[in-house]
Amino acid sequence: MAIQTFAAIDVGSFELELGIYEVSPKYGICRIDHIHHVIALGKDTYSFGKISYKLVEEMCRVLEDFSEIMKGYHVINYRAYATSALREAKNSQIVLEQIRVRTGIEVFIISNSEQRLISYKAVASKDIEFNRIIQKGTAIVDVGYGSMQISLFDKDALISTQNLMLGILRIRSMLSHIQTDRESLNGIISELVDNEMLAFRKMYLKERNITNLIGIGDCLLYLSRHINGGNVAGKISAEAYNTFYDRLLSLTQDQIQEIFEVNADYASLLRPCAIIYKQILELTGAEMFWIPGIRLCDGIAAEYAEDMKLIKFSHDFSEDILAASRNMAKRYKCHTAHIQIMEKHVLSIFDCTKKYHGLGKRERLLLQISAILHSCGNFISMKNTGDCAYNIIMGTEIIGLSHLERAVIANVVFYNIREFDYNAVQLDGEFLRNAGEGVSQTEMSILIAKLTAILRLANSMDRSQRQKLADCKMAVKEEGLVVSTGYEGDITVEALDFERKADFFEEIFGVRPVLKHKRRVL
Amino acid sequence: MMNGMDVNYLDSKNYVNRELSWLEFNYRVLSEARDKNLPLFERLKFLSITASNLDEFFMVRVASLKDMVHAKYTKTDISGLKPADQLGKIGEKTHELVNLQYSTYNRSLLPALKQNGLRIISRHEDLNEEEGVFVDQYFKVNVYPVLTPMAVDSSRPFPLIRNKSLNIAALLQKKEADECLEFAMVQVPSVLPRIVEVPDRADIKDKMAADSCETVKTVILLEEIIERNIHSLFLNYHIIAAHPFRIMRNADLTLDEEEAVDLLEEIQKQLKKRQWGEAIRLEVEEDVDKRLLKILKRELALSTSDIYEINGPLDFTILMKMYGLEGFEHLKAGRYIPQQIPALMNDDDIFTNIRKGDILLHHPYQTFDPVVDFVRCAAKDSGVLAIKQTLYRVSGNSPIIAALAEAADNGKQVSVLVELKARFDEENNINWAKKLEKAGCHVIYGLVGLKTHSKITLVVRREEDGIRRYVHLGTGNYNDSTAKLYTDLGLLTCSQLIGEDATAVFNMLSGYSEPLSWNRLIAAPIWLRGRFLRMIRRETRHGREGKKAHIIAKMNSLCDKEIIAALYEASCAGVKVELIIRGICCLKAGEKGLSENISVHSIVGNFLEHSRIFYFENDGSRELYLGSADWMPRNLDKRVEIMFPVENDDLKAEVLHILEVQLEDNVKAHILQPDGTYDKVDKRGKLLVNSQEQFCQEAVQKVMDEMVKTDSSDSRIFQPVESHS
Repeated sequence: MAIQTFAAIDVGSFELELGIYEVSPKYGICRIDHIHHVIALGKDTYSFGKISYKLVEEMCRVLEDFSEIMKGYHVINYRAYATSALREAKNSQIVLEQIRVRTGIEVFIISNSEQRLISYKAVASKDIEFNRIIQKGTAIVDVGYGSMQISLFDKDALISTQNLMLGILRIRSMLSHIQTDRESLNGIISELVDNEMLAFRKMYLKERNITNLIGIGDCLLYLSRHINGGNVAGKISAEAYNTFYDRLLSLTQDQIQEIFEVNADYASLLRPCAIIYKQILELTGAEMFWIPGIRLCDGIAAEYAEDMKLIKFSHDFSEDILAASRNMAKRYKCHTAHIQIMEKHVLSIFDCTKKYHGLGKRERLLLQISAILHSCGNFISMKNTGDCAYNIIMGTEIIGLSHLERAVIANVVFYNIREFDYNAVQLDGEFLRNAGEGVSQTEMSILIAKLTAILRLANSMDRSQRQKLADCKMAVKEEGLVVSTGYEGDITVEALDFERKADFFEEIFGVRPVLKHKRRVL
Repeated sequence: MMNGMDVNYLDSKNYVNRELSWLEFNYRVLSEARDKNLPLFERLKFLSITASNLDEFFMVRVASLKDMVHAKYTKTDISGLKPADQLGKIGEKTHELVNLQYSTYNRSLLPALKQNGLRIISRHEDLNEEEGVFVDQYFKVNVYPVLTPMAVDSSRPFPLIRNKSLNIAALLQKKEADECLEFAMVQVPSVLPRIVEVPDRADIKDKMAADSCETVKTVILLEEIIERNIHSLFLNYHIIAAHPFRIMRNADLTLDEEEAVDLLEEIQKQLKKRQWGEAIRLEVEEDVDKRLLKILKRELALSTSDIYEINGPLDFTILMKMYGLEGFEHLKAGRYIPQQIPALMNDDDIFTNIRKGDILLHHPYQTFDPVVDFVRCAAKDSGVLAIKQTLYRVSGNSPIIAALAEAADNGKQVSVLVELKARFDEENNINWAKKLEKAGCHVIYGLVGLKTHSKITLVVRREEDGIRRYVHLGTGNYNDSTAKLYTDLGLLTCSQLIGEDATAVFNMLSGYSEPLSWNRLIAAPIWLRGRFLRMIRRETRHGREGKKAHIIAKMNSLCDKEIIAALYEASCAGVKVELIIRGICCLKAGEKGLSENISVHSIVGNFLEHSRIFYFENDGSRELYLGSADWMPRNLDKRVEIMFPVENDDLKAEVLHILEVQLEDNVKAHILQPDGTYDKVDKRGKLLVNSQEQFCQEAVQKVMDEMVKTDSSDSRIFQPVESHS
């Protein structure tokens, strides 16, 4: 397959970036140009809640240039993503519209969890290292301008991920009005970080053994040049980092500018960044610090290459999404055996009825996650389990999912035990808009209805939560979707519920599920 | 050895004023004009160069000092002199220099020219009757119609006199009245040739032939013809006195870039203003009528020290035209033809050749054609996506501009940074820039507050295994004309690391943020100064530790205080510092306890030394860099410059060889003495080394070697053995 030229655009909180990549199965992903323009969108958003006209103007001008550069490279495809500064700006929609009209570039706002997964894909594109490192307890810490993300990996799987509102630009904005000396400022930043981190430790880290720390984020790239003797990427010991840290903290702002060869804007960001990593190293007790030297643009390219089947990661990121969901289910004390059989049932129904629902791989994943999380509401209230589950899911970051996808899952779980009302599906208009053109409320309602129908049917098949239909087989025959089981005992509860749920299923797919109980003749 | 702590390296007494050092340089050029070993016409050319140099020096440097004095700016320079003091010293030294220029011309060149068949009639009074008739007729037919005589009286103000124009001033008296003298002037028209050939008299021809001259020519200067006929311009007047004069005006462009909304317009506006700046120098014939001089002095508001009374033709730049007179080729240096580059002497295209390995170009010994070809091929090559280039000074009708326009036409993305602020070239550059824009190139008109002096071309090409970047980096401008005269080095490479950096350079020039880190290139104004200082200090450290330390640096000018102080420190640490500096050098060499390990060589030859090479011994891990920057504050702080390493061992050896040969030069090299003067090397008992000549020969030899190599490898002819003994 020929080499494809791809462009990745990151509309970040502090910079606009354009990465030009060549992607091919033979040579993998090669970055051939990287252009960035400092524009502190985050400053506007975090201070005033919206992005000023002046910055929009500047942003459009730069993006117009980007578009020219892309033409110059004969780019055949691009993806442009915006992160927290636009996500949190009240006027984000009009800003995106302006960009689209003036530059022709379609920018999509991605959720924090999508953004992080994309970054991890960039890390994973440095394949061998990543797989080797995450065999042991590993924390990936991505300190961004607006927030930071901590994800814990162990034995090749994601255990949990949390977003903390501790971005370096945010910290700088918070402290900008405080007049104090350097020492005290260092202390204040450490304290801020400590508070947030302690909560994280109690909730998620517990006694887990973390050996490795992987650091990503733009600011770290500037730091790492000096941690690592001029090279951007590399591994160092915690001890070496501490030595570097002590030296950095003793420097004045001017000295930082001179030594790190950065301008004043960047220089003021390096210290908070260094402090955050120092605290994390201490808190986790990690011995090794790896800075793979990647940017979000690299991740966007990796994601594209994977989607286009130009490259294949040996690490399965869908598994991470599932692992994160299972961990969530565990945290809310969901019934593991029931969940396992539910996963099996929903997937079997989904695979069996492809012809009827016409859904793809991604929707299959959403369905599977809905099955995993369908009963999490019980943790709070047995009576209002649907509402509670909806709120839990909407309030929890699930790595790799967009806001819209999360809302789909929450709705599917919500309607699992409630009369489905096409007109009452709760979908925030903003999620739809962020998802881009062609995604309408109706379409999403239909998707939710389809997934709900499958989930309900699967749920009825384990109504008693005793996995009676573990052996069931499915096939679409003349009389409908035939689910046959050879279960020896009584399945009346399941059969009754199945029959009830079959109506809705038939309404949605036009095929009636039929439960056949085949008893062995003695 | 002195300890670094004992010397205050930054003390102004350790530095030489840059203007005085520049005048020293012009003396060195003048010494070429005085060198009897040089072909006669080459000496004329050098004399002409001293004159054009001096003109530029006045318009830029002296003018700027005058501005400072007017503004009551009293800050001292690197050597502790205030602007007014500097002007005083410059005046003194310039008067001496001008005297030496004219005594060289009158005593040495003029007689020698006559002896060799070129008779120059310096005064129209020396014309005989026959010649007089000819020039009068010439005046009537050719000159008179284009003259605009201007009289000055109460109703007509003193006319504006154009910068650098040649004029004749006259004192008139009405024929009817007496006493009252009037001032009038006429510009010597620049549209007519200033050198007018006069048909030779038979007697002179015979005499010359007897002296076995190959060509015989008699010439007179236009102003003498006008002076002779000036009465015909002022018919009712007696001509009391008439003398040519020339003025120079302040030409320094002080652009306020922060405020200039449209840089282009601003420069155009400044250009129009330029010729009417303040007068800063008046050249006038030596025996000028004192009344006439008084009027000029008053009207032009000049002080006595600004007036140069000249014993000979004004404006020696005319000698360059004289050099071009036909028939005297035997009195000029043999023309050297730039040689081919061995690595390119094959049928492969330039990209294929670059892929074989980095290619070093040494101009003008080697041809500049590959650089033009590089852009030309890129313009036509279907795989090329983009061409990016910085242009500082380009030739008229530049083939590079044409190629860039063609590339844009062929759908390539062409980005060109045209530096509008290149002094004296603004008008030229604006024209090219507009032409390129029309062709569809993306033109960047320089950067606010910075001059882009770097010389870099990037070609982005899509190849089978992905994008590959080809880069040309040079020490000289993309000017195919000057590349025949300026010694420069260039590198063609497709190194991935340099390619990435080159991309980053152009991204920065387009207004984007700096890259996270640089692979190989070092750019001013942000990184270069620091890098130089670090490298010099590393040698100092090595010197102190007794490790191998040695600095060789070749450049056009050295006047950066911080760098000089670092060099003094290195010298005091025992580091051998060998500098090859063509022009200004504010460093004091060979001074005990300060710079006893520093030597400064200056080579003034047929070619203008222009390459910048920097060598650092680094305890055996030698580093060699080429670049566009001098060690001057303006290069390090106010310009975009690029320095690049030579990493290939063979090429490194080649560049080092260039430095070594230049250091051995004992024909064209002058050595800076502790008293600030420059002396030629004592050649007694030594093998003569003329570095420029040697490089010419070496370039020819390389081509021959390559031809032999190709011939023998391509040979398909069997050679039968004819006899067996």
